[in-house]
Amino acid sequence: MSTRSGSEAELAIRGAHVLDPSSGLDGVADVVVRGGRVAGVGQNLPAARELDASGLFLFPGFVDVHAHWRTPGREDEEDLESGSSAAAAGGFTGVVMMPNTDPVLDRPALVSGLVRRAERESRVRAFVAAALHAGLAGERLTEMRLLKEAGALCVSDDGLGTQSAGVLRNGMLYARSAGLPVILHCEDHTLATGAVHEGAAAALAGVPGTPASAEDVATAAALVLAAETGARVHITHVSTALSAALVGFFRGRAPVTADTTPHHTTLTDGLVSTLDGLFRVNPPLRPDADREGVVEALRDGILDFVATDHAPHAPEEKELPLEEAAPGFLGHETAFAALYTGLVLEGRMPLGRLV
Amino acid sequence: MGARDFLTLEGCGRAEIREILELAAACEEGRMDGSLAGKTVCLAFFEASTRTAVSFELAARRCGADVISLSERGSSISKGESLVDTVVTLDRLGADAIVLRHPAAGAARLAARFAAAAVVNAGDGCGQHPTQALLDLYSLSRALGGFEELAGVRAAVVGDILHSRVARSVIPAFRAAGVELALVAPRTLLPLEAEVWGLPVLSSVDEALGWGASVLYMLRLQRERMTGARVPSVSEYARYYAVGRRHLRPGVRVMHPGPVNRGVEIAGDVVLDGASLVPDQVAAGVAVRSAVLALATGVEQEVAA
Repeated sequence: MSTRSGSEAELAIRGAHVLDPSSGLDGVADVVVRGGRVAGVGQNLPAARELDASGLFLFPGFVDVHAHWRTPGREDEEDLESGSSAAAAGGFTGVVMMPNTDPVLDRPALVSGLVRRAERESRVRAFVAAALHAGLAGERLTEMRLLKEAGALCVSDDGLGTQSAGVLRNGMLYARSAGLPVILHCEDHTLATGAVHEGAAAALAGVPGTPASAEDVATAAALVLAAETGARVHITHVSTALSAALVGFFRGRAPVTADTTPHHTTLTDGLVSTLDGLFRVNPPLRPDADREGVVEALRDGILDFVATDHAPHAPEEKELPLEEAAPGFLGHETAFAALYTGLVLEGRMPLGRLV
Repeated sequence: MGARDFLTLEGCGRAEIREILELAAACEEGRMDGSLAGKTVCLAFFEASTRTAVSFELAARRCGADVISLSERGSSISKGESLVDTVVTLDRLGADAIVLRHPAAGAARLAARFAAAAVVNAGDGCGQHPTQALLDLYSLSRALGGFEELAGVRAAVVGDILHSRVARSVIPAFRAAGVELALVAPRTLLPLEAEVWGLPVLSSVDEALGWGASVLYMLRLQRERMTGARVPSVSEYARYYAVGRRHLRPGVRVMHPGPVNRGVEIAGDVVLDGASLVPDQVAAGVAVRSAVLALATGVEQEVAA
């Protein structure tokens, strides 16, 4: 559903099973779209044009709070046009762009410039997450109040994390003053020295491993600090059973939300045995027990939703041995299909929870 | 005959290993001399190596192959050419076998995807070093009096298993040959899931001898790992994980893939002792690598016939 379709003509989508848990819709109905927006839901609604969608599901537009559209700096990998086209193809109508671009989105002029470009060039609603600290270097806080005025939706340390607990704590406190949510990439770099999950597959393959503790230790620290500071914290790409359980423990103790990804809920570190650079991602694919724990946490609402961490790379950055490849998976176009196949059809999750 | 990649010993079988070692014996007797005439063997070494590179080159020359040697210095590798592009270039130049050494696990497998030539893994990161494990088995079986004598022998693999491509080839190859194995290392030099191999994990050379090891396979401890986070000091490491003269009971044999850090993995007076197979291992390199090149390029059938 493009917000830039330009067509003012009415379109009635007839016969689809309309599923939207947030508005309580769950049954066959007609949906009328006018000017690219939903104008009505009901039975036998009149419209100039019709589309027969019998036997199909119709969902509201999805939101992806974690994407890398590589703009500015690496438009050879992705730009607003290609990223938003991929998002639209995957059913996403709202996307949050992460700040680890080149240059990092740490100044108001960069943020306002990207916001304006997104208004012109993106096919879906695109929001900007500004950097939590200058250059994502983990030392100096960004001008969060000015960043907010420039149009930032939130601040984030995605891609690198925040290595100093002191900086993270002050960042949370200041973000709270600025009225900005904080999206956190939880990774302790003193532990995260490898390329894949440190488990049985890494041991056999001889690929340097990063233990689950690299994520768990940082997640625990972030949650403790969120509880203390009262900042609105969102933990992104939770990939271990323990981190998911930690989020569960802090429910009601801190204003925390969390997401996991399509790949961490459907794939495992068994793929390390391929030694294929395609399968390098951060956080790394985990063993089945972790995947299972994350899926259960998502089903039970301990993890709030799925975000893709859509992260394109150039072919020469992936056509490498696993440990030399750039970390990142694509996600926009395949997210729903992967989750539907891997979780809903397998009976692991009701479709309504996924939507 | 078609090209046959030679990438890993993970999943190898007893018969396969026996075949290679028998062919290596034929090579040693000179029965393979000239068998690779008209073939081109490319050595592509993306990482420094002395004994592996030299013994592959000698093996190829002894079998009569044309040899092209590409090292990191003074080649397109140092100009930033990618692994895939280098391999494709060598392939299109007409290589029959590409012998690849690379600092990342999986490099040989990636190269094999892009080359029609046979890719021979000469060591990839912490992944595999198949020809090393084969020459180890060759020299050990010689010392014991034959391939059948390997069955039931107890061997301890001692040292930095975490970072060792040699260990990742030795473990499956020795087991396939019937050798019983134990791992001996501090937990900082073992993978977190070391139990994945299903082998006993022991904590000193003395313990390994108590377990009944008659072969002590010592792994190299890289210099940068000797002090600091993983090993507190060389002297503490050597106290528990080095083999000394006092360990040389009758029948005990010491192995090491080289280069040895004397006094760290093996006491200086043991390296060239009668109990040490280290010189035999080096000597076995040419015959075993000749056999592997013959298998990789498909010429071994003609010789055997």
